[in-house]
Amino acid sequence: MFRNYLITFWRNIIKNGVFSVINIFGLAIGLMSCILIMLFVRQESGFDTWLKDHTQLVRMHTAYTMPNQEPFETVRSAGSMMEAIRDYAKNEIETGVRLIRFGMTVRQNENVFPEEFTMVDGSFFKLFDLPFIHGSKESSFNKPMDLVITEELAYKYFGKSDVIGETLTVCCVTENTTALTITGVMKDLPDATHLNTDMVIYLQPALFSDNDGMLNTWTSLNTYTYFKLNPGIVPQQLQDRITFWMNNESPLIEIFSHLLGDKDTGKKVTDLFSLHIMPVADLHLNAKSQAGNMGDLTPMGDSKMITTFIIVAGLVLLIACINFMNLSTAKASKRAREVAMRKVLGASRAQVAIQFLGEAIALVLLSLLFALVAVELALPLYNEVLGKELSLHLFDEPSLLFTLIGLAICVGIGAGIYPALYLSRFLPGKILKSSKSVESKSSTKFRSVLVVFQFATSIILVISTLVVYGQTIFSNNMAVGYESDNKLVLNIQSAGDNLASLKQELLNLPEVNSVVFSSEAPSQDNENNNYFNLLEPHANGYANENTLVNYHNMGYGFFEAYQVKPLAGRLFNEDFGLDTIKQVAENEIGQSSVVLNHSALKKYGFSSAQEAIGKTLASDIRGKQHLTIIGVIPDIYFRSIKFGVRASVYTLNPERFRVANISFSTDNMPNLITNIESVWNNNVPMQPINLQFLSEMMSAQYQDELTTAQLFLVFSLIAIVIACLGLYGLSAFTVERRTKEIGIRKVMGASIKDIVTLLIWQFSKPVVLANLIAWPIAAYLMLTWLEEFPYRIGAIWLVPICLGVGLLSLIIAWITVGSNAAKVARQNPIKALRYE
Amino acid sequence: MLKLHNLTRVYQTEDVETSALNNVNIEIAQGEFVAIMGPSGCGKSTLLNTIGMLDSPTSGDYIFNGENVAGYPEKQLSVIRKHNIGFIFQNFNLIDELTVAENIEMALIYHKIPAAERKAKVEKVMDKVGIAHRAKHLPSQLSGGQQQRVAVARAVVGDQKMILADEPTGNLDSAHGQEVMEMLQALNDEGTTIIMVTHSPAHADYARRTINLFDGHVVAESVRVAEQTA
Repeated sequence: MFRNYLITFWRNIIKNGVFSVINIFGLAIGLMSCILIMLFVRQESGFDTWLKDHTQLVRMHTAYTMPNQEPFETVRSAGSMMEAIRDYAKNEIETGVRLIRFGMTVRQNENVFPEEFTMVDGSFFKLFDLPFIHGSKESSFNKPMDLVITEELAYKYFGKSDVIGETLTVCCVTENTTALTITGVMKDLPDATHLNTDMVIYLQPALFSDNDGMLNTWTSLNTYTYFKLNPGIVPQQLQDRITFWMNNESPLIEIFSHLLGDKDTGKKVTDLFSLHIMPVADLHLNAKSQAGNMGDLTPMGDSKMITTFIIVAGLVLLIACINFMNLSTAKASKRAREVAMRKVLGASRAQVAIQFLGEAIALVLLSLLFALVAVELALPLYNEVLGKELSLHLFDEPSLLFTLIGLAICVGIGAGIYPALYLSRFLPGKILKSSKSVESKSSTKFRSVLVVFQFATSIILVISTLVVYGQTIFSNNMAVGYESDNKLVLNIQSAGDNLASLKQELLNLPEVNSVVFSSEAPSQDNENNNYFNLLEPHANGYANENTLVNYHNMGYGFFEAYQVKPLAGRLFNEDFGLDTIKQVAENEIGQSSVVLNHSALKKYGFSSAQEAIGKTLASDIRGKQHLTIIGVIPDIYFRSIKFGVRASVYTLNPERFRVANISFSTDNMPNLITNIESVWNNNVPMQPINLQFLSEMMSAQYQDELTTAQLFLVFSLIAIVIACLGLYGLSAFTVERRTKEIGIRKVMGASIKDIVTLLIWQFSKPVVLANLIAWPIAAYLMLTWLEEFPYRIGAIWLVPICLGVGLLSLIIAWITVGSNAAKVARQNPIKALRYE
Repeated sequence: MLKLHNLTRVYQTEDVETSALNNVNIEIAQGEFVAIMGPSGCGKSTLLNTIGMLDSPTSGDYIFNGENVAGYPEKQLSVIRKHNIGFIFQNFNLIDELTVAENIEMALIYHKIPAAERKAKVEKVMDKVGIAHRAKHLPSQLSGGQQQRVAVARAVVGDQKMILADEPTGNLDSAHGQEVMEMLQALNDEGTTIIMVTHSPAHADYARRTINLFDGHVVAESVRVAEQTA
């Protein structure tokens, strides 16, 4: 019997040529999309779950919620917190560890290599039980400055993996170079971890003097703090304990006493400053929502993006399944006779249903084969777009193979159950007797509903894609407020005392127009907050109010180089001799200058730029300073427009300079780069150069959105292709079914044009309806999405996008249906009328 | 009204050439009632379809109202057809999804007649064939005789001068068959030319002339002498 089923299955595939191709192709690309998305989602959501005891590991995040200030959240915490909380919450915590990140350089022979080091407390390997290849977690960290590296780095520097006892010369933990002894080699970490630590150093607390604010601070946030919970303790228990400690026992009560006031005001420390713990396995996808966008050890994932893609994958697969359902039920009448005969010969309804269900599953499995081939072909490109290294090794991972087969069977059942029940319902007597169509009205209607659903879904996807794209283009092209062309950004942090000669030699290059130092270049999104208190009261402002403002340090000529013109006052100018902040003694007050951006102007409540000029801000930078407001500039975007502009002030503190902004004019870029590199090597030997185009740094800010938009576009197009395939199949079928009617109409005098119009209109109706359903849904979704952006394309753009997509969907439907319609309209009506 | 001269129709399949009509010469005048008879496969329907311009001859001439339409393209044929010829089929060929009135009205839609006028004509013709009380019913709710009456109404609603009927009584019992034949007779009395394919000698007797076909040839023509001589 099974053989008979197989034969019927196979011959039907062959006989239904176009329909089979549509079914298999549609299901295959639906499954392909699904598998691609699944691979991505699997990796993203599986971060750090491979860590031993990961359910017991948590990280502590910090949030400032000071009155009159923007909330400030970060994944880091203050250096003193770890020990204090670990010792206080002994019942909950087994151990804790702090991590500090460093960029340092390794010197070997005549070469220098930039590397990221992680300094950790000695308890690091008690918390993170990473696998060792040489040495062990017990033997590796005996004393401060012991170094553990990954196997990959061992090979990089020594060409072998057993490098215990070898030393690496690094610069510059202290002033000079230090030789670190390697005490352990651990396995390379997998991609799916937020840790990303190739070199781990046992932290030497003595390296960090107290006023550095690294380790002995309650409020400055520089370390990553992790705890391992005692067995049986859940994160919420520790969270409650920490909150209690903060409000009742911690030194913060004293530190914030001036803000908290008397006890009876009821204000708590956690109203101002709170700590939040999060399991490590949640960090990759959820740290962003708790602690903002920046500063984690590795780029964070985005749980929203994951959710979106899961939904898109589901929809694409659903659209493919609908094709199968539609075409199967549409084709049902063709097989009615077979069903009837099987029943006459003794098959039960269940047997017939199982036969058809089996056929559906077999077809999906066949499609899965094609899908797997397609996935292999698409993976390189997919990885490139995502910046991942996803792979599909079915035979190494039986679980994945079985998951996929399971998915195929589910899809088969999902797509096949309705046709199976529908077909098995046929009553043999009725069918064998009559030559009439066995199609019922309700099944035709059901198909129309499914087509409307398919198109509505595809249309929503396309509209969303266009809006996401539009917003990305809008963000990319929005005036950032400065001239970003022809700029190179050179990191000068390792240049030491040679800055002056470096600058002079750069200026000597014929292509270089100007070299300006600053703490950040545009697109470097470092938030530096400090108190800048306005001294003189004015109509809308308060004197001496604690005002936390972001600040950057710009050298002379910075604004000129970026062509930023002042709204009022002047820019920093060497000729005045007053603008640079100098170190002042304990009892003195230094005098220098400050420039405000437009948002800061509003923050201080000035009604005009002119009004601010000459007023004074008091701050604590290299001693107490009174900074005269000398100028106001328009808002310029240092970070992605997605996040809006910060109220910022600009001071001139050469101590903080980290980059050189190089303006150039040349057509011979490689030559310029080579010249700059040789200048660098002359002045800063033994340090790697870090030189970037500003334009590339800026577009990197939008990479995430661009990637999302691109993937979104690809998957929506796939959805539309599948939906159109379905429409093509269905129109081919309808045309077949209506051959007789079309014949009658032709005999009655209908022209080919009349017939084509009739059929096209019939298929336009569901598409028009789908548009009417899709528009409001897409508009709602996209307006909600756009709310994330402080600067966004106007809602009015949705109108042309919706109309355009609507028209496009109609045209596509017309083209799809038109060829089938024209074919039948040209047929001789006699055939249709004589032989049914 | 129409004249077929040396008309031949050959069907070509991959390896077989079938001659459905072979040198057929027929002339039919306005107002005639002609029956075409012959065994299955003799070419009756091909002849009828060719006359109805649903099929084109392979060679020979087809003069319709003085025009040789043998080589006309489909578009031109469809214009001549819809203004002059009505069709009645053995299996009625009504559209299942349309009501009686809508089925009849369809013939007028392609004549580009305004809606109000269409409605009046449809009502008039429904009265004439006695189907007005079922105007809002679907074909599946009617008996075979009633369905064929709808088909007749549809064939004449556009004031067609000629009706081609392909075994109009083949699917009907004798009482209903009789009914349809009388309706055709009445139409013929009003001046409509009727050409009918039939297997039934009794129904062929309604016609004034009978053409016998065999293997694509006209083998005999008989005329009802009584009326011819009268």
